Amino acid sequence: MRVPPGVSAGDFAAAIAAFERIVGKDWVFTSDDDLNLYRDAYSPYLNEPEERIASAAVAPTTTEEVQEIVRVANRYKIPIYPISTGRNLGYGGAAPAYSGSVVVDLKRMNRILEVNERHAYALVEPGVSYFDLYNYIQEHKLKVWIDCPDPGWGSPVGNSIDRGGGYTNANFRNHFDSHCGMEVVLPDGELLRTGMGAIPNSQTWQAYKTGCGPWVDGIFSQSNYGVVTKMGFWLMPQPEAYMRCTVRAPRFSDLGPLVDTLSYLENSRITTGFPDLSSPLLSYPPIGQIQLWNENGPPKLSDEHIKLLADVKQGYSAELEAYGVKEGIPYWELWLSFYGPMEVIEASWRATQRHYGKIDGVQFRVVDKLNLPIDPSTAEKYHEPELGVPSLRIFSIGARTPWNPTPSHGHMWFSPIIPRTAEAIIEANRVFSEAARDLGMPLFKTFTLPACFWERSFVFILATPVTEDPATNKRYREGFKKLIEVGGKHGWGEYRTAPAFQKTVMDQYSYNNHALQRFHETLKDAIDPNGIMSPGRYAIWPKSLRGVQS
Amino acid sequence: MMRMRRTLGGPAAAAAIMSLIVAPAFAQRPAGHYAAGRAVYRKWCAPCHDPGITHPGTHALMTKYKGVKSGVLLEWTDLPASTVKYMVRHGILLMPPFRKTEITDQELDALARFLSRNTPGGR
Ligand SMILES: Cc1cc2nc3c(=O)[nH]c(=O)nc-3n(C[C@H](O)[C@H](O)[C@H](O)COP(=O)(O)OP(=O)(O)OC[C@H]3O[C@@H](n4cnc5c(N)ncnc54)[C@H](O)[C@@H]3O)c2cc1C
Repeated sequence: MRVPPGVSAGDFAAAIAAFERIVGKDWVFTSDDDLNLYRDAYSPYLNEPEERIASAAVAPTTTEEVQEIVRVANRYKIPIYPISTGRNLGYGGAAPAYSGSVVVDLKRMNRILEVNERHAYALVEPGVSYFDLYNYIQEHKLKVWIDCPDPGWGSPVGNSIDRGGGYTNANFRNHFDSHCGMEVVLPDGELLRTGMGAIPNSQTWQAYKTGCGPWVDGIFSQSNYGVVTKMGFWLMPQPEAYMRCTVRAPRFSDLGPLVDTLSYLENSRITTGFPDLSSPLLSYPPIGQIQLWNENGPPKLSDEHIKLLADVKQGYSAELEAYGVKEGIPYWELWLSFYGPMEVIEASWRATQRHYGKIDGVQFRVVDKLNLPIDPSTAEKYHEPELGVPSLRIFSIGARTPWNPTPSHGHMWFSPIIPRTAEAIIEANRVFSEAARDLGMPLFKTFTLPACFWERSFVFILATPVTEDPATNKRYREGFKKLIEVGGKHGWGEYRTAPAFQKTVMDQYSYNNHALQRFHETLKDAIDPNGIMSPGRYAIWPKSLRGVQS
Repeated sequence: MMRMRRTLGGPAAAAAIMSLIVAPAFAQRPAGHYAAGRAVYRKWCAPCHDPGITHPGTHALMTKYKGVKSGVLLEWTDLPASTVKYMVRHGILLMPPFRKTEITDQELDALARFLSRNTPGGR
């Protein structure tokens, strides 16, 4: 049996026996075969000694069982690591941040406690996946939409706790922002409800976020201050209609007005769906079309076009631009989505076109115009999450296809937040492509466009492959850390990262001699004196391990 | 402790060719025999393995077998239950393994029975 570091075999055996009494023998896992299922399938340390491995896993079904597990962990000083659906691929999978931790697998806590159509919210347990919630809503014919990330097997709770993002309206895409009310088992086993939930018999737990006094919800995301056992989420009332349109701009220099106008339109709530930047001329897809490109191959380019692409520098080439103008291939194409009554959508689209009218040679097209709901069987004609439908289709990224004969074993997402400007896009391309080239990381083809998950910023996402070759993985891993540092020097930081990189990322958040990190540690010591809860998650270590671990 | 992920090698390819020669032996079972396994398939496998290239697992297998055999698991006649179980618990390439809190051993047995139903001697 594996034993957590610093724990005696006797104490561990006693803890395991106690866990078995709490959840039953069938739901405590200690064999290597069973624990392999908790490894991160996309680990950047795949099959290397540093790969994070659990010493056991325990799978409760109720909040009371979670409380008991936490008390046992305190009694024997056992590090535990709660996961919800454990599908955090690309950001750490189901593996603990600290090797030897006992994973508390909440997948069996899978009750949908309420879906309220009248007030458009849901209250769920951690094991409820996006597929589960979607199916429940369909079966009960409720007129509300979920906002899901691309992979539908993750959970509202797990995804939002790691502050993931989705694809419908702006006020739902930021999954942590769209939550309302939490129930948390604290590291000493105490039970806490946040916001209005702190009032016994609260009538508005899922209706008003902050309650009164300090709003503490944020500290339970990307942290290690508790086990979240329930969470409320605001849902979008099923919209009447959907329209997807594009704005095409002919010249490289149009990127500035394209982005600035987008910011104005989004911040004014004129366009609210997921904005998606692409470049037909650079053959760079919008995120919503990636799966189609993987399935059907990228659009065919002429020989001349391919030749011109070879000479592009930092996304620009005068010859390519001239070719685009001649052939009617736009440099940029911004995809916009609108939800609502058709007359409102049409008016928003008219206003959008008026604002973009200042770009010389701009063109507009309406790609889809749908009355909702659509028949779910036709959802695959679209990027499903933009219609509130979960799927796993995005796993075509890196998968074997006729266009990708060498499938990968996974990827780690490099995802710094950069300013929402054309200058920042160009600067990030220059900075990261030069660094990646020097580090021998094949991350850039011609140019990378950022994702617009959230208003007011961009996420500059680069997928770094995981291979079966430890030497290659080592090079990418070290390169990944260098890229994080390079970003930090430019004032950019990751929005989220896998345990392997959490220290490097958090080191960039160093204002005033790491005041933020020190505050995290002060909290940690106060809330979790035994240091049992997810040690090391987002580089927050308990006192006993501080400075020892990296 | 090391979990090496493997690709199916020569024996699978040989079995694929065999399956073209040996007619599928459709097991005679009472209706409902495969219901539990089918339900597991629908929940956990279908999103990636149902027919059509919008299912990345199917597209990958179609590309791999280049028409020598179908990319659709449901149509395979050379898929022993043991292979189903191995794949679910080990994963392959981008497909991660599935935990027992997701697919229990009992559910996995049912799934393996269902997916190997057309495989002669597949149990
Ligand atoms: C091809 C691909 C595409 C992707 N696309 C997206 C995307 O569009 N958007 C996006 O956001 N992500 C995306 N991801 C990343 C990831 O797959 C999802 O974010 C996924 O939802 C996270 O897994 P999960 O929901 O199962 O969370 P979990 O793995 O359950 O949780 C994540 C982490 O949060 C903590 N945690 C979870 N539950 C609790 C709890 N109850 N109490 C305390 N701590 C807890 C744990 O530290 C855990 O490791 C993508 C990944 C891949 C491979």
